[in-house]
Order: sequence, then C-alpha cells, then structure tokens
Amino acid sequence: MENAGQMRLDITNLSKTYPNGVQALKNVTLTIPKGMYGLLGPNGAGKSTLMRILATLQEPDEGQVHLGGLDVIKQKDEVRKTLGYLPQEFGVYPKVSAESLLDYFAILKGIATRGARKEIVEALLRQTNLWDVRKQKLGGYSGGMRQRFGVAVALLGDPKLMIVDEPTAGLDPAERVRFLNLLSELGENSVVILSTHIVEDVSELCTRMAIINKGEILHEAEPLKAMEALKGRIWRRIIEKHALPQLERDQKIISTKLLGGRTVVHVYSEEAPAGFDPVQPDLEDVYFSAMAGYVGNSQNQQSAEQPAKEA
Amino acid sequence: MLAILKISKALNNLRRRLNMKFWEIFRFEFAYQLRRPWPWLSLVVLVVFAFFSTRVAIVPVTLPQDFILNSPFIITSVSVFSCQIWLLLAPAVTGEAAARDAQTRMHPLTYTSPVSKAQYLGGRFLAAFVLHALILLGVQMGSLLAAYGPGANPEIIGPFRPTAYLAAYGYIGLSNALIATTFQFSAALFTGRPMASYFGSLVLFFLSYPVTLTLYMSGLHDRALLADPIGVMAIMNEMMSKWTIIEKNVRLFTLEDAMLWNRLLWLGIALVTLGFIYLCFQFAHRTTTAWWAWLTRRFAAKRPSPTDIGASRMTIPIPHAPQSFGFTTNLRQTIAVARSSFHLIATSPGGLFLLIAFPMLLTFVVLVEMQHWGIPLLPRTPHLLTKHLTGVLTSPTNYWVMVPLFIIYYAGELVWQERDAGLSENVDTTPVPEWVLFLGKLIGLGLILAAFMTIIVGVGLTVQVIRGYYQFEILRYGQVLLGLKLTDYLLFATLAMTVQAVVNQKYVGQMVALVVYLLMVFSSFLGIEHHLLVYASGPEWSVTDMRGFGQSVGPWLWFRLYWAAWAVLLSISARLLWVRGRESGSGKRLQLARLRFTRTTAGLAVLTGVLILLLGGFIFYNTNVLNEYVTDNELVKRRADYERQYGKYEGIPQPVRVATKVTIEIYPDRKAATMRGTYRLVNRHIVPINAVHLEPAFYVETRMTFDRPARVVVADDKLGHYIYALDKPLQPGDSLTLRFDVQLEPRGFRNSGLRSNGAGQGILENGTYFTGGALPVIGYQPLRELWSAEDRRTYGLPRQVTLPAPGDIDPGVMAGAAATFEATVGTDAGQVAVAPGELRRTWSKAGRRYFHYASDVPINGQDVFFSADYAVHREYWKHSSANAGQGVDIQIYLHPGHTEHRERLLRSVRASLDYYSAQFGPYPYRFLQIVEQPGNFMGMGVDGSGVITAGESFFQLDPQGDGFDAIFEIVAHEMGHQWWGMQLKGAFAEGGGVISESLAWYSAMQLVKNEKGREALRRFMSFMREPNPWPPMRTGLPLLRAMDPWANYRKGPYAMHALSEYVGEDRVNQALRTLIVKKASTLATTIDLYRELQAVTPDSLKPLLHDLFEVNASWTFDTKQATAKQTAAGHWQVTFEVDAHKIVADSAGAETEVPVNQWVEIGVFAAAKPGEVLGKPLYVQKHFIRSGKQTVTVTLPHKPARGGIDPYNLLDWEEGDNIEEIKFE
Repeated sequence: MENAGQMRLDITNLSKTYPNGVQALKNVTLTIPKGMYGLLGPNGAGKSTLMRILATLQEPDEGQVHLGGLDVIKQKDEVRKTLGYLPQEFGVYPKVSAESLLDYFAILKGIATRGARKEIVEALLRQTNLWDVRKQKLGGYSGGMRQRFGVAVALLGDPKLMIVDEPTAGLDPAERVRFLNLLSELGENSVVILSTHIVEDVSELCTRMAIINKGEILHEAEPLKAMEALKGRIWRRIIEKHALPQLERDQKIISTKLLGGRTVVHVYSEEAPAGFDPVQPDLEDVYFSAMAGYVGNSQNQQSAEQPAKEA
Repeated sequence: MLAILKISKALNNLRRRLNMKFWEIFRFEFAYQLRRPWPWLSLVVLVVFAFFSTRVAIVPVTLPQDFILNSPFIITSVSVFSCQIWLLLAPAVTGEAAARDAQTRMHPLTYTSPVSKAQYLGGRFLAAFVLHALILLGVQMGSLLAAYGPGANPEIIGPFRPTAYLAAYGYIGLSNALIATTFQFSAALFTGRPMASYFGSLVLFFLSYPVTLTLYMSGLHDRALLADPIGVMAIMNEMMSKWTIIEKNVRLFTLEDAMLWNRLLWLGIALVTLGFIYLCFQFAHRTTTAWWAWLTRRFAAKRPSPTDIGASRMTIPIPHAPQSFGFTTNLRQTIAVARSSFHLIATSPGGLFLLIAFPMLLTFVVLVEMQHWGIPLLPRTPHLLTKHLTGVLTSPTNYWVMVPLFIIYYAGELVWQERDAGLSENVDTTPVPEWVLFLGKLIGLGLILAAFMTIIVGVGLTVQVIRGYYQFEILRYGQVLLGLKLTDYLLFATLAMTVQAVVNQKYVGQMVALVVYLLMVFSSFLGIEHHLLVYASGPEWSVTDMRGFGQSVGPWLWFRLYWAAWAVLLSISARLLWVRGRESGSGKRLQLARLRFTRTTAGLAVLTGVLILLLGGFIFYNTNVLNEYVTDNELVKRRADYERQYGKYEGIPQPVRVATKVTIEIYPDRKAATMRGTYRLVNRHIVPINAVHLEPAFYVETRMTFDRPARVVVADDKLGHYIYALDKPLQPGDSLTLRFDVQLEPRGFRNSGLRSNGAGQGILENGTYFTGGALPVIGYQPLRELWSAEDRRTYGLPRQVTLPAPGDIDPGVMAGAAATFEATVGTDAGQVAVAPGELRRTWSKAGRRYFHYASDVPINGQDVFFSADYAVHREYWKHSSANAGQGVDIQIYLHPGHTEHRERLLRSVRASLDYYSAQFGPYPYRFLQIVEQPGNFMGMGVDGSGVITAGESFFQLDPQGDGFDAIFEIVAHEMGHQWWGMQLKGAFAEGGGVISESLAWYSAMQLVKNEKGREALRRFMSFMREPNPWPPMRTGLPLLRAMDPWANYRKGPYAMHALSEYVGEDRVNQALRTLIVKKASTLATTIDLYRELQAVTPDSLKPLLHDLFEVNASWTFDTKQATAKQTAAGHWQVTFEVDAHKIVADSAGAETEVPVNQWVEIGVFAAAKPGEVLGKPLYVQKHFIRSGKQTVTVTLPHKPARGGIDPYNLLDWEEGDNIEEIKFE
C-alpha cells in the first residue's frame, strides 16, 4: 500500500439504479479520510448499496471510487488485498468450528505461512472473545457470537479499508462497546466506514459522518460541528398526545418521543417559538433535522419539496 | 331436537371452515407452483421423452418384427420408463410443497397460524400429488403425439384404444405418483429441506433397480416383483417375456397377478407412511430430532454447548500477519477451498451414501452376481472392472447413472456453498482470484470422486477376498478406476461446475446440467454421432486378461486430451462469468468478464484453442481421413443401396467354393497381417457362368485375380461388390481358381476406436482374432440386406417376411457348400497361431513360428484365426467302433491363467464324441478345437465344423467337485451343434432354432443322463428351468414354427426328452440319425424332423407327438397327497391323490382346457442320499391319467420315501408339486 498517511477514499458522482427501477444512489460524492466515518440513514436509504460498491461487491452505473491510488471499480483484486468487510447479514458453515473457519479465511486473505496464521487466528479469537469456544461448531453460536466471528474475519489481514454495515444491531451493550473500541483502534491507521441507523454509534465514535436518505447525501459534517451549528434552533415542548396534530400544522416538528405517557416534541426553528424551551442539540437532532430537510447539503431543494408532500 | 340441529349446524360450519382452509392451502400451493418453472420443465421433458421413446422405440423392447406405435405394450412400457425419468426429475415439486416453509424460515409464521395439521399437510400433499398427476399426463401426451402428431408413419399406427392410455396412466402413472410423492414428501418434511425429496426418490430408484435386480438374480423372483416400488421389473418382466408378439400389439395392460400385488403392497406402504408422518409431524420449532442428535453425537466430541462469555476485557494488540498474493499463495488457497468443498460433500447425506452406503450395497450386489447358472464365477479383475465396477458415462444402463447425477447435484451445492450459507460476501471480498474459487471447488469434487473410485477398488478387492481369490491386480484397478473412469467423471464435473457458474441459478443450473447430460447420452438419436461433437465422449476402453488394454487406451486418450482442452476452455469461461458479489445481470457480468479477461487469460484461452484445434485435427485425421467416417444412417443407406443395386443378382448361378488354401502372416507387434491364397470355385449349376460376383472385405486391401482371362465390369468399393466377366464362360462342372492377396494394415483409429471385429484391427500384441470375413466372398449376400422393418420402409424397400413358415421352404434348397481348408499361419515366436483344421506341422523360421492346419474333410461355417500366447493341450480321440479310420485331433487353446477347468472341457468333449457318434452318426471331422476367444464375454459357441470358441468370461465358471457342472453341459451342447447345425443345417425359417438349438440341448440332456445319471439330469433341468434368461412362455407359436428363445432352448429339448422317454431313446435317436443322412446336402426344416419322428412313433403315442409339436399344450400335474401302508404280505401300498390338467393355448394367448387322457409316469423312490432329491427309483410306471383329481395306487416290495406323478418332469415342465413326501398310515 502507499503511504498510509495519504490513505483516503474518494467517491465521485456515484449512481446506481436497480433493474426494478429503484434508484439506490443518486450522484453521491464523498471524501472519506482516515479514521472513523459514520454513514447514517434510515433503512432503505442506500447505505448498504454504497457499502457493497465500496466493498467491490456491486457495480455502480456511474461514478468513480478511488482508494488512495486504486480504482475500486476496476482494480477489485488490488482493493480486496486491503479490504475488511463485515456485511449487514451473513451466515456461517454450521458444521465447522470457529477456529478452522477463521483459519480458512486467513488463507483466503493471503496469510500463507502457517505460523503467522496460527498467531493471528489466536489473537483475533481472543480479541473477539471467542477463544474459549473456538473448537465448537459455528452452528451452535448465538447471534452475538456470530457477529463477533464476522468481526474477526473482517479484521484479518490488517485492512486499510474497513467497511462495516450495521454491525451493532445484533450485539448486546457490552459487546457493542467492545466492538466500537476495536473499530476506533483500527481507525487510527485505516479508513473505517460504519453504516448504521443508530445515532449513538456515530456520535460516540466518528470523527466525520454523512446522513443519507433515498440515495442522496443529505448532510456531510463532523458530528461535533454539526451539533454546534444547530445550537439555538432546536426547541422542545411536552404536550398531550391529542395536541400533536394542531402543533404539526404550526411548527416544523423534527421528532416526537414518548416520555412517561406524554409526548416530547422537538421542533426546528430559527427563532424561539412560543411555549417551547431551548435544548442543547444532540446528534439525533442533527439527524432528524437533516432528514426533514432543514439542514445539510440539499437543504433548499428538500424544504421546497416538503410542503408538497405533506399536502 | 333443536339442540341436535344446532350442534349439527355448528359442526357443518366447522367442517366447512376446516375444508375451506384445506382448499385454500391446496389452492395456494398449487397456484404457487404453477408459476414456478420446475413443474413445466418436468412436463416438457416427459412429453419429449415419451415422444421420442415411442417414436424411436428406445425402450429396450426386443420385438423381432413390426410393432405398432400405439400398442398397449408400447404405451405401457413408455409409461414405466418415463416414470423412472420422472422419479429423478420432479421430486423438487414435492420438496417445495413439503419443506418450503422450513427452508425459507417462514415456518414460525405458518406453524402458529390456526391451521390444523391435517389441513396443512393434507393441502400441501394433495397439491404435490395433483401436480405430479398432471406432470405425468405429459407421458401420455407424448405417446399420443408420437402416434398422431406430425411425421408419424400411418402404417404402424393401430386402432386408437383410449383404455390403453387410461390403464397406463391410472395403474402406473397415478399409483407411482402417490407412492413417490409420499416418499419424497416424508423426506423433505422431516429434514426441512426441499432437496431431501430427491433422497426419497433415490430410495425408490434403488429399490426398483439394484435391490430388485439383485433379488431377481438370486432367484427370489416373487420377492423381486414385489420389492419394486415403480413396477419396472414386475411390468416389464411380465409383458416383455411372457407376452407373445401378437399379445404385445393387442393385449391391454391390467393389474393382475404379480403386478396387482405389487401395486397393493406399495400403495399400502404409501398410506401407512402418510399416516406415520401425520402422527409424527409437529408444528414445533425445528431443532435436531432426538434420533438425529443421537446419531450425530457419535461423531462429535462431547462438549457443553457454547456459552457466551461477557465481553468486557480490554482489547489486546493484534499481531501483524504478513500477507502474500503470489502464485504459491493462490495454490494454498486452492487447496484450502478444495478441502472445504471435500468436507462439505463428504459430511453430507449424499456424500455418505456415495462413499459408504453405496460401496457396501455394491459389494453385496457383486457377490450375489458372481455366479452363472448357479455356478460360482472366479472374480477375475477385468470381469469385475468391466461388468460391475464401472459404468460408461454417456450410456447409463444401470445404477452407475448415479455418479453423473451426483456430480450435477453437488456441482450446484459447491458453486452455491457460500451463498447458501450466507457467507458469500465475506468470501467474495477476500483477495482470492476467481479461478482459485472455481478450481478449488472442482478439485474438491474431484477428490470426492477420487475417494469414491478408491473405495470402489476396495469393493473389488473385498469381493475377491471373500471369494478366496488372491490374484490381486491393484495396478489394473488403479489404471481403470483412478485413471480412465476418474478422467471421464472429472471432465463431466468441469462441465457441471461451468454450467452452474454460468447459469447462476442453482436449481435451473442443475436442470440445465441434467438436460446437457441427457443430450450427451442421447446425442446419437439426434443424429450427432461423431465423438468430436459430444462432450467427454470417445471410444471406450476395454480390458481383458488376454489382451490387457489391447491398444484401446490410445484412441481413448486422444479423445480425452481433446476434451480436457475443452474443459480448460470451459473453466476459463466459468472464471470469467463467475459471479462475485451482487451483480447477476448479464450486462454487468459481461462487463466484469471484460475486466477479468487479462492478457494471461487471453493467452491461456488462445493456447487452449490452439490445442483443441491440433488435437481435434489429429483425431479428425484419424477418424475421417485415415479411416472412412460412416454414420449409422449412412450405413443403413448403403445397405439399402446395396440391395437396390445388386439385389437382382440374388440367387443367380455362381460358382461355389470347394477348397480354400491360405498363407497368413501375422505381425502382432506391427498390428498387421497378410493373407494370400486361393479358392477353387466349381460351377455346380447346369448352365455356364459368364460372370463371377465377388465381395472383398471392407477396410482391407484386397487384390483378386483369376487363373483365366477376366475383366472387371463393376468395381464398387463403396458398396463392396465386384463383377468379373469371364472371357470364356465357366461350363457346368468346370472349376477355376481365384487368387487373392489381402493386406491388413493398422490405420489410425476410428470414431468408435479400433476396429475389433472383422478385418483389420483384430490384430493385437496378444490376443489376435479375425475371421474369414477378411477374405472375399462369392456372390450377392442377402444377409447384408436391411432387416429392420422400419428401415426398409424408410428406404422404400419391399417388406420382407421375417421368417417363412417351414412349409414354405423348398425341400431341395442346397446347403452352403462345405470346402476343404488348408492354412499356414505364421506369427511371432512367442505366440501360437490357430486356424481351423488338424494341426499337421509346426516349425520355426527367421524368428517366427509357423503352423500348418488342414482339413481334407470339407468344413462349414466361419473360418476363424487366432494368435496369442496360448497354453496348448492336444490329444487324440479314437472311434470306439473298429471301422473308424483316423482319430480326432483334439486341440484346446486357453490363456495360460485360465486352465483351471481344462479337464472338465475334455471330459465333456470325449463323452460327447463317444455318445453322439454312437447315437447320431460318426463325427466326420478329423479335428476338434476349443479356442479361448479374447474378449470379456460369457458365451461359448460354434464357429464352424470342429471349432468351438468361448469368451474369456466363460473360463470364469468355477464348478466345484461333482456338483452341477455347467461347463460339462455347455460343452456338450456345443458339441451337439457339430451334428445339429454343422452336419444337419436348418433352413432360415420358423422352427430353425428347433433344428439346431433344441436338438443340441436335447443331445446334452441325453449325454448327461447317460454319463452321469438321472439325478444329474434332474439338477441340469432345474437350472434350465430358471426363468433367467428365458422365462417360460405358454403361448406363442407351436414348436414346429417356434421362433422365441424359450421354445428353442427349453421347450424343444423338453419335448424331445419327453418323446425319448415315451417312444424310446433308441428310436428317437435313430430318427435323428436318419434325418442327418437324408438331409446331408439340403437344408432341413422342422417338417423334415417331424416326419422322421412320426415314422418312429407308435400310433398310440401320436397324440402326444402332436401335442408336443403341432400345438401349444402344457400339462400341470400336482400330487396332492401321498400315503402308504404296509400290507399283510409285507409290501407297501402307496396311494397318490393327484390332480391333472392340460391346456392348449393359441398364439394370441387364449387358453382352452382339454382332457388329459394319457399315460403319465407315476414314480416311487427310496430315501435320498445327502445331496440328492430323489433316491433310488423303486417304481416308475406309466398310468392312464384323466383330467382333474384322481387316486392312483401302486404296490411295491420296498419301503418308499417319496413319490408322485411325472417325477422326471417329462410333461409338466414346472418343478415343484409333482413329488411329495410319502406319509405312513
């Protein structure tokens, strides 16, 4: 690989439409530097399509992807040498033990010498806390254990580009913490892209993030700066449920939440609306504001569409 | 009252609701599957299969003459064979219905819905059954199309019989649909995997094939007929062998006898199974069942189930592991993928079946089949290899078809391994080239096949050890199984894997691979015969003890190299189109393929292409340039042309050959030979002969000259007919000499490999065999005409009467003239050359050995020539009567390893010469040869006067001790042919087989009786009674016009034997002796035989003679009870209660009972010695017997043990109930 310092993923004008007409990606352009990068969006936003294109598993209709000096679309073999990928869903060979399947993957990843393989397999199994159960058949593993096994596979071969697609969904809180720690450690030297619909994953870890919906990047920012930028524009009020329809007509509501039987409403407003309290915006507010089209790259276009939809 | 009404209303409602659900489930499943491709594909395949098997009659029906396309017989057999195809084709339908929910993991939703087990299972099962019933309609559609669709020949269409189609569909189609659906459904339901339905099908397939066959071969016929779930054996056995030709065209198939019981049994089993699955099935979370866990626990080490451990420890550093991406790494990766693939298959049920269950089953089958006529066979390696342990890939005739099916199935499993497990994205993003994945999987499958072949070696060795045969030829096993067979399977595996990679739809891929395989198998029916055009095909290899591979491997190898190059090309395309990741659209795949088409790949592709061209070119040069390439159709056309062009010369006066002199030089190492010699030809006609018609052999160089001026008028090399006009006609009684020079040179190889018959390529390093067919023949040869009625129609040739009735034969037709013969044969120093005649002299010259054979007595038949490293035995036999002149030169030529039972051969030869000469007239020739003919066939036959040959397998017969000795009997039969066939020659007419075969078997029976006694004859007859190969036929034509083998080989000898016992052996044999003398120079028919028999039969027995020869009479005698009591005088009074019937059947199968009213033997016997069935006869006398039950009483001085009516089965040819144990009062 080239100088790790220059490691950067450039995505230019990436578009992808499925044969059934669903446009999964529309002209996506992103620049992803070394470190943890969060890709946030609802289900069906096009996250997985983007991730799979980055992971050499899908072909875009248009656009370019470059990893350092490599063309990800054309030089798949080269990219795979330095790629770690944890798919959103994956299975295992149920009749094989974790140790032997990981060893198998190590060979596929090009770790040819037996000694090195043994060493790294052991390290990764310990790292993912599967060492004690390494001889057991994968068919008997719980969901979390399988997920950790997938992590071990993705970590093989010191990847410079790590793509993890909704990794924390099946993990319990302890596992999640441990896994995110692992990732951030890896992020010190590599490009790590984490796609998720869980806002906390991003807020806790990522230095940069993008919010994606319906195939488009709505907002690209650093989480801290994005929260900072929203300061003074998010307001909150606790109301009875029946008052909500009225409020929806009057205010730009970005989110509602139940709290002790009453409804907490967050609204976006440049000025303080009557009866609302100011709140310190968190990443969730950023996310919902972007989804509602009040902040982000295509802010104007979105807000123009918004009323038409609601009518 | 009201309450009852209410309840009944509620019940009705409930029932309606239940039924509604049931119908809804049924309707949904049915409609769902109708939108799937599989039922339609299956339907189409069945229509096509039924169409072609009806049209082309590829069903193995041995109909000697015209058949009617829509005869019930054809409709029924096509239905049966289509059922077998359907069995392997359509289980997916049932599997889907039974296990789609579990497969798609939707079962938690369906199982928890308010549907009862009966509704759920019933609806699904019914849907599957109805679908199968509809799919099987395709068979009848195909049958109907074949008869009434375009292109059908109206001449061979009989009247439309809807009941025939209905019967075939109902009795065979529907019953099989229910049986098979049940098995498939159960398998799929309990494993939760749709593909397991194939396992259900395979179980049935195996029951209907090897198991049934094994039972049948081991004599358990009734059980075999019952054990066959598909009914192939029961139906085909019943119809094929027991129905006459006329019956086959008109008789309707119904369920009766064995078939009825078979259907009842299997439908019963199906219903019980359905009840069982209903009881066992639970709407429950699918976990491994108790018994499965119990089973698998034995293989897995006991460990507590994985517990999840908290994940709170801090991360630890991951060591840096060096990655490498070179070729060496790729090789390691390939090995890893191969190991993983091997593991996948080896631990799957199919793999376990192939590697463990099947070899065990095979061992059992082979052990059972290592006997012939109840005589054990020596388990020699070539025999095991060719007959039992291998199957030809492209002509699947038995259970070996399983291997290609296995390959097709597992090619799909392997290519889809990652995707099925959900691991594909993890694997596809690893830095592994596509070729590593493809090659690794292919090697994995290859390793399974190699392991399988190795295990088959073990099967062979096990059989040999169990049979106490210790001449192991491990190398031979390795060469054949791990060399030749494995290569074919690997080629096919490459194809199947490529299909999977390209099609990229697992089940469609398996289907496509299956269709491709069927195309390979049936290519010749599509008019594609050249092996250059049919993947993985080519000439077959052969291996025998005498010949080894006998050069068959050379052509085999060239074709396989050619196909291996294609396989590389296939692999390249598989690699280019290998789907990685999510893109399965063809546009994107081609785009990726372009990216992958690197310079190295292009180079390899070009190199392979060049290799294909070079190898293909070399093969083409051999098959089409060095040798003439003639398709089967072309061959048929030529025969038609031959008849049209030269048929007018049939029967014109031509000189006959009276003496042959030939000098042969055989060069085994060069595979060449020369034959130079002369014929003396005499004009035996009353008119002068102007032109001589000569037909030199094909594929050899022949030069012919006459000793007088003659010029060539016609020289047709293509059709093989020459006409020489003689300048001066050959006057009656005059003779001329034809000089010929024939060169047999090796000329590359042909599409079918080396020519092994006739002239040319029969010359091998060891085991050279060729016939007089290499020499020119005189005159038009009617035998070269087309005989198949269909072919004759196609080429507009007049219909030929299959066989004329014996009465239509001109009694004065001359027999083909015998000729004196003289041959000098030279061969390599290490070999013995054989030609017909007494061996006059051998000598050595210039490092070669020469043999001079001659027969001054004119001889008949085909001249045969051999050269091999034979173990020679010679002895002289002298006529016992003083008037005989010289002795007979008995020569036995056997392969040195096959001499175990030479003494048995000789014993039979000597006894035959003694007895037959005394009974039927002196043996006229001065020599008698028994030659082992190279090639693995069982048969022994007569080639000509004084020459008996037998295939190598014949010498595997291993009779033990003094028990039944098939060698003695068969040699006695062939010796009989030296009288019946060589001296008395039958006309080519109905009953011709009686003249040769029946009389030869009769002779053997008489010899056994006289030489070894009645007990030996009884044992011999009990083997003759075995229904294999010729089950008894009560109908058919009477003996005088007999055509079917059972009449020729069984009924004829029985009738002659009965006659000799009734009329007297001397008188019957005297009649035969007279017949030979009378018909010394003309052809004989059954009418001539009958006339002589009538002459010696007293009037009282004429009705019996009539019953035996003129009509189809059969007798059934049964001794119901046998009791004895001692009289006051100390004698024993024995009373038999017997039952007697006689039936006369016409040729259409209609039977009429007629009164018995004739003399039948009653026999009483003393206690038998061990190994015997009947003891010393105490009383054998003929009693007058009428039809029905009656009592016979005899008195004798000694204490009896057993007795009954017709104890020697003179008239009642079915053994069993004639003799009973005598009970004492």
